[in-house]
Amino acid sequence: MSGAAVSAAGAPEARPAAHSWREAPIQYGTALLTLVLVAAPLLPVLYQSVVDRPLYDAGKELTLANFARLASTEGFGLVLWNTFVFSALTTVIAQVLGTLAAVLFGRTDMPAARVLGELFLWPIYLSALVLSFGWYTVYGPSGYLTMLWNSVFEAPFWDLYTLPGMAAIAGVSLAPVAYIYCMSSATITDPSLEEAARVSGAGTFRTLWRITLPLLMPAIAYSAVLNFTVALELLAIPLVFGEPAGITVLTTFLYTQGVAGVRPDHGLAATAAALMLAVVCFLVWLQGRLLGNTRRFVTLGGKATRPRPFRLGRLRWPLFILCALYIAATVVAPIGVLVIRAFTSFLSPMVPLLEVLSLENFTRLFEEPIYARAVWNSFIVSAVGGALATALIAMIAVIVHRSEFRFREPLHYVALFPRAVPGVVAGVGFFYAIALMPGLGEIRNTIWILVIAFTMRYIPTGFGAVAPMLMQVSPDLDRAARVQGADWWTTCRRIILPLMRPALVACYTILFISFFKEYTTAIFLFAPGSEVIGTALLHLWIQGEAGLVAALAAIQVGVIAVCVAAARAVFGVRLHG
Amino acid sequence: MAELVIENLTKRFGEVVAVDSVSIHVADGEFVTLLGPSGCGKSTTLAAVAGLDRPDGGRISVGGTVYFDERTGTFLPPEARNCGLVFQSYALWPHMTVFDNVVFPLTLRKVPSAERKRRVEEVLALVEMEPYADRYPHQLSGGQQQRVALARTLVYRPAILLLDEPLSNLDAKLRDRARTWLAELRTRLGLTTIYVTHDQIEALSLSDRIVVMNGGRIAQIGTPQDIYERPADPFVADFIGTTNFLPGRVVGAPDGGQALIELEDGQRVAVQVERRTAAPGSRVTLAYRPEQIGVVAEGEAAPDGAGSVVTARVISRAYVGGRWQVGLDLGGGPLRLETARPPSGEQVRLWLPAAGGILFQGSTDVSSE
Repeated sequence: MSGAAVSAAGAPEARPAAHSWREAPIQYGTALLTLVLVAAPLLPVLYQSVVDRPLYDAGKELTLANFARLASTEGFGLVLWNTFVFSALTTVIAQVLGTLAAVLFGRTDMPAARVLGELFLWPIYLSALVLSFGWYTVYGPSGYLTMLWNSVFEAPFWDLYTLPGMAAIAGVSLAPVAYIYCMSSATITDPSLEEAARVSGAGTFRTLWRITLPLLMPAIAYSAVLNFTVALELLAIPLVFGEPAGITVLTTFLYTQGVAGVRPDHGLAATAAALMLAVVCFLVWLQGRLLGNTRRFVTLGGKATRPRPFRLGRLRWPLFILCALYIAATVVAPIGVLVIRAFTSFLSPMVPLLEVLSLENFTRLFEEPIYARAVWNSFIVSAVGGALATALIAMIAVIVHRSEFRFREPLHYVALFPRAVPGVVAGVGFFYAIALMPGLGEIRNTIWILVIAFTMRYIPTGFGAVAPMLMQVSPDLDRAARVQGADWWTTCRRIILPLMRPALVACYTILFISFFKEYTTAIFLFAPGSEVIGTALLHLWIQGEAGLVAALAAIQVGVIAVCVAAARAVFGVRLHG
Repeated sequence: MAELVIENLTKRFGEVVAVDSVSIHVADGEFVTLLGPSGCGKSTTLAAVAGLDRPDGGRISVGGTVYFDERTGTFLPPEARNCGLVFQSYALWPHMTVFDNVVFPLTLRKVPSAERKRRVEEVLALVEMEPYADRYPHQLSGGQQQRVALARTLVYRPAILLLDEPLSNLDAKLRDRARTWLAELRTRLGLTTIYVTHDQIEALSLSDRIVVMNGGRIAQIGTPQDIYERPADPFVADFIGTTNFLPGRVVGAPDGGQALIELEDGQRVAVQVERRTAAPGSRVTLAYRPEQIGVVAEGEAAPDGAGSVVTARVISRAYVGGRWQVGLDLGGGPLRLETARPPSGEQVRLWLPAAGGILFQGSTDVSSE
């Protein structure tokens, strides 16, 4: 023992080799990469909006003519009006549905509330494109339910090819956002406030109306701004239902002017994009004001420790049936019928299902090299791109939260900025960036431009999954390593990043799903050879291949379902957003 | 092992001056404790020595190596200082076993693997944690974690050892044992050590010298006996041990090393004055440790020797197991002491030895803090 004591107290060790020089290149490198990534689509858009001819032409001159031209473009006022009506209607529908669902599923003794709540969330996992096709398959002009209705009644009371019809689809698919925010607010609300009201004699519905609902107001208001922003950025629903009916919104305007038109007017498109960017920046700023912090995505839901549920009494079963019908009509039917459509050659209420069952759609899909390649590309973009993006986000997170990097606050800001960049604007922006930058031509026709664009768009999402966990890791753990002789990078590698593994897995899963369902940015950027599922879906849709659309959509739904289930079962992560 | 010199160390957090021009000289092999209430700047000082925070001014050097010098702009990052720091939270890495935790600093120093293994075993034996090498931190008790944290620090033979409230997360019984164990270990190792705590018993029993800090400044530096018996100001007297404060006024010039103090109610107390001057008429505060105050039963003569007998009113009495805690009012000021028997009447007579009282200039109101 005494020998040990002498040895432990022996001559001080030589100091460890100092690697402090490594810190600066890693930190500056990451910061620079992030800055380039975020600025790449923005600068070309802003630049294009103030020059008089396409970016790739010589002899450009600075001008404000684009703004004047946009203002005087015939019908542009109507486009803005449509955009506003669509977003506002969507928000109202989403907020009403989401709040009702949160109260009914979260706070009452309704039967099977948990299952209904889970089903209610489903639209959030899927891309709006797939949901649109689902709704089309059920409620479209030749949809399953439309035909069933027609066989009994006269013309259906719904029409998806109108602003209210589109807003209904969008509202249903965004209601889970309001639901999630209300639920997490309800869990932190002190149940004794409600109990006090009930003890003092207020009935169930009076308590709900006077106490519970007002307490939810901050959550409702915040998610309303969030949903308004998302609705503003939505491309799929207006593209599928609005364009055929001649209803144009900002996103579809950008799409037709920027890429899809015969003679794209870049000045006009860039100016509209800049306008949209400004509006969304304002909305994101408003979100920050409302919430007091800058999270746009709730990625890890808290544990729901539910206060005592309200008794619905005699209304319990009628309300349950109403909710079940709603879930069946808006979640189960669109997704279910779309999947069934994938496995049939033809779907109609007049024809028995068994007679039309076939795998023909899938065999045809994979015979066509474009579509097989699209599925494969989607996998590569999601798996490899998700991993690269996770690595970048992990680096940003440790620099922002665990370093003395001089520009860590600006880096934080830049990393979260893509929240304010709509997918269509990012798409247009990267499209211009490729045209502008000679070096980028190499990756133009590859899936790597998609990886780059998707990574840029989803940095905030991934960051939102990683940062809270990182902040829970005690700073003493990395300080201990530093004092013992590890430089910053060794500390990150050996201590912080291993401790963050669960958060990184969650981040990767979220990014995999997000990349897998992404279409908005992709349709501006894909080229022959770099199709992904989203672009292939639109391509098939335009060709009128309903069966193949359904098959491809079913693949996306299946893969995402497996991912979500696996993430929940294995890691216990709740993935929202 | 080396001496630590801190000169005029200053650290601000925004408007707040957390450490205000602190200078401490710790000799080679000395064990010095930074003692003070939370927010007094002791942990900030420790963090500055370890390099976790960059100070705003001053100079820190250990055995000739300058860690920090504001004038020359020198700032060694923590990894280049070769300090050993044991955290209050222990900061054991939860994803590594005890062995991996302890071997980490040796791996960083590129120690050959055979020697690494030998030294980890050696240091784990030193802290009596050898059988637990394959456990993970969460499988250990608080006391065991603390030993591993210490082993992880000792294994690379740091130039100085910094301990940040290492016992504060242990429960009371375990803390007593850990303190005894730490005291043994410290004599065996002889490392230059800075120990931060707010616990006076740890400070008094472990240290060669104690630095009492208050509001970012040093209130007193001295041996444990110095600090306890001759506190420099009412704050130190109040912070170390229990102290009764009696406000009063000097009446009559010091005579034969004694000054006469008149309490608020007119009773007079004689106190020995050493270096402190007590100008007649000036307001002063008398401080007594409870154990220095004696109770004189009715009709009994005062003990021999210099001192005074005063009468105090009984306000409260409480049985605390074996003894009675008595609350008194003496000249309008509160006074507490412990007695074997409860006071019988409304009044008690107290014996205040002249050598036991400490005189502070001015009126102070530390007891209400």
